[in-house]
Amino acid sequence: MISATNPLAGCRVLLVEDEYFIADDLRRQFEESGAEVLGPVPRVEEALELIAATPQIDAAVLDVNLQDEMVYPVADALRARGVPFIFSTGYEKTTIPERYAGVKHCEKPLEAAQVAKALFA
Amino acid sequence: MPDREQMMKRQQVLADFGEFSLCSEDLDEVLTEACRLVGEALGTRRAKILEIQQDGQCLLVRAGVGWDPDIVGQLRLPMSERSSETFAIKEGKPVITQDIRQEERFEVPKFMKKAGVMALANVPIFVPGRKAYGLLQVDATEPREFGNEDVEFLRTYTTILGPVIDRLRKVGTLRSSEERFRLVVENARDYAIFTTDPEDRITDWYPGAEFVFGWKAREVIGQPAAITFTPEDREAGEDSEETANAAREGSAPNVRWHLRKDGTRVFIEGMTTALHHPDGSLRGFLKIGQDVTKRRAADRALRESEERFRAFVTASSDVVYRMSSDWSEMQELEGRGFLYNTPEPNRAWMDHYIHPDDQPVVQAAINQAIRTKTMFELEHRVRRADGSLGWTDSRAVPLLDEQGEITAWFGAASDVTDRKLVEEALRESEARFRAIADVVPECLWRSDPEGRVTWFNERWFAYTGQSPEEAQEHGWLDTLHPDDRERCMTRFRAAMSEGKTYSGEYRIRAADGQYRWFLARAEPLRDGAGRTIQIFGAATDIHDLRELQEQQSVIVAELQHRTRNLITVVRAIAQQTLAASSSLQVFRSQFNDRLSALSRVQGLLSRADQEPITIRALIQTELDALGADHRERIVLEGPAVTLRKGSVQTLALAVHELATNAQKYGALSTEPGQLTVRWRVHVPEGEGRRLALDWYEQGIRLPEEEPARRGYGRELIERALPYVLQARTRYELGETELRCSIDLPLTARTKKASP
Repeated sequence: MISATNPLAGCRVLLVEDEYFIADDLRRQFEESGAEVLGPVPRVEEALELIAATPQIDAAVLDVNLQDEMVYPVADALRARGVPFIFSTGYEKTTIPERYAGVKHCEKPLEAAQVAKALFA
Repeated sequence: MPDREQMMKRQQVLADFGEFSLCSEDLDEVLTEACRLVGEALGTRRAKILEIQQDGQCLLVRAGVGWDPDIVGQLRLPMSERSSETFAIKEGKPVITQDIRQEERFEVPKFMKKAGVMALANVPIFVPGRKAYGLLQVDATEPREFGNEDVEFLRTYTTILGPVIDRLRKVGTLRSSEERFRLVVENARDYAIFTTDPEDRITDWYPGAEFVFGWKAREVIGQPAAITFTPEDREAGEDSEETANAAREGSAPNVRWHLRKDGTRVFIEGMTTALHHPDGSLRGFLKIGQDVTKRRAADRALRESEERFRAFVTASSDVVYRMSSDWSEMQELEGRGFLYNTPEPNRAWMDHYIHPDDQPVVQAAINQAIRTKTMFELEHRVRRADGSLGWTDSRAVPLLDEQGEITAWFGAASDVTDRKLVEEALRESEARFRAIADVVPECLWRSDPEGRVTWFNERWFAYTGQSPEEAQEHGWLDTLHPDDRERCMTRFRAAMSEGKTYSGEYRIRAADGQYRWFLARAEPLRDGAGRTIQIFGAATDIHDLRELQEQQSVIVAELQHRTRNLITVVRAIAQQTLAASSSLQVFRSQFNDRLSALSRVQGLLSRADQEPITIRALIQTELDALGADHRERIVLEGPAVTLRKGSVQTLALAVHELATNAQKYGALSTEPGQLTVRWRVHVPEGEGRRLALDWYEQGIRLPEEEPARRGYGRELIERALPYVLQARTRYELGETELRCSIDLPLTARTKKASP
């Protein structure tokens, strides 16, 4: 997976995902791709704290539906900082609010390469 | 003893009164003067005259001096047994009370005591014929004897008073009857009244005569009454014949055309009556007549219109008939194929033609027509010529004689059977439609293409709470949600102008103010030329349906989410298992094992809404899945605690790993091994409720090195549980025992935990 043309190499990528094994799998994939993983974190509160504490974030992968909440506050915070992000989701596109119409989203299960393509294409 | 002077004075009083009474024709004036004179003569200054009234029931204070105006002419005393007044009248002689304080025979009226009367004399007054008129009452404010002379004087006085009263009363009666006569005669405008002398020359000419004939009194007094006769009647000697008849018979009818001053004629219905002197000799004639010219004209017009009506109905009706004045007999009926003919008078016509059920209605209409002498008009059932029942519209007019009495009825009847049947069918189908319209759960309406509603079914009014007045025309729009109104009307009009079916969804406000979604459809109804004449519409409540659809889309989305997550979890488990498996065989068995655990959790979760998942159920499920019976070596202890659905999957996988390991390497793999699982609920300061679970295995045999399998279980417990569930966990493996504690929140998220 590691290659010179790998756009993820050296990137600081925030992962927000409430399912441990998915989060762990993603982490492993991104790390193998040469990215530096921020998190993963399972909840909005922790994601926001991490964003606030981290000066440089290059990209983010956000699971839309966290256990008891939606990830949108995190999306808004990232957007405010100009950080590109994608939604990872099992949802149909129509259930995502209108204001995120331009945001790409990948359906689970995710592959790091697919995410990279969506983020930097 | 009265002195001579007093005697003289009293003589004078009687004379004065006699003279006064001759000059006056006013009874009240005379009685008042009588009281004044007697009060003066006896020195009491008070006297009154009481008149018997109401057939002897009471006495009216008719006149009086020395008494207040509210007593004179006003006060009435009942004629009671215990009164001196009544006693005096009954006995016909004077009754004296010398001092009312000592009076024991009679009761003195209150108003007299109040006025300070101490003594009194009652002297009855009789009119000629010994009829009691009332009494003269003299009142003294001090005790007084009223001696013989006084009493004699009063008796003489009342003896004079009686005939005077009688005369004046007769004058009064005569005057009032003369007055009445004058009023009647002068105000009668419809009646020409005049009198003539024995030679039939006019002597009195009253306003009514002037009004009817046109001459004024001064123009005709002295003229022969013949001037009011027409030339032809005069020539025929009708005028003199009439008076001759009246003189001979007492009176003679005068019903003929007369002449007016302006030469026009007037029809008079009247009477000429002979007047006689007391000695029986002819004094003249009284002629009274009524102008009935207009009535005669009206009668004739009526008769003519009756004729025309008869001719018309005879030509245009199915049936003509003739009834006796009281309808008891049908004189003739020409049935013309619709009804049986009745050529001869028939008294049983009612039974013949009218169904017994309808007879009362027909009879009532007949009675009404007879009473008011107006047209009989009724639609009723009738037995037809072919024996079947049909419907007829029957009308009959009364034929009147000169006196305005009904002589017969002329009737016409049409066959309206077909129309009636159509009407009935229409009514029935309308009634059926209404019944159906009101029973369906939809709101139904009829409108024009602009949406002006002419009819709603009951459901609309019941749902919206509108009254028919509020809903009519565009009033119904008020119940539409403001956001939906324009869209609804625009699309409705567009559909109607194209003659298409309209279909739309909008919110309608219920009577309780809540809006509900309706699906409305409207269909234009076109006439033969293709013009839309009416719209039929129906609105169905789809609120619940929409809510279900919304719920369903949420559920579908949730299912999508779960399924995709589950696949991801399966993928992660596969990778983890694969990484730790020495052979494909090992992988297969462990992977299948874990998939089964995952599937059991899904089973629990799918029933969670009906059957909340408790920690005991979760552990028991995993232990049961081991297959072998270890019941005597396992202790489960703790309260019933329901788990959050979000906690179940990860926790169940962790428990599954613990249970599998226990069977493979732990307490359940050895004979003396013992597994104890205890849990409790606690609430740490500043946090929500938490579950503290303690998994304790004794009698285990520790293998040389930790198997890979155990590594996966540890990762779940030590890393996944804290990450996903914010759990605090500990995993301690000793020489002969294993202790694992898991402490996790029972309520929704509290504090962060690091992965």
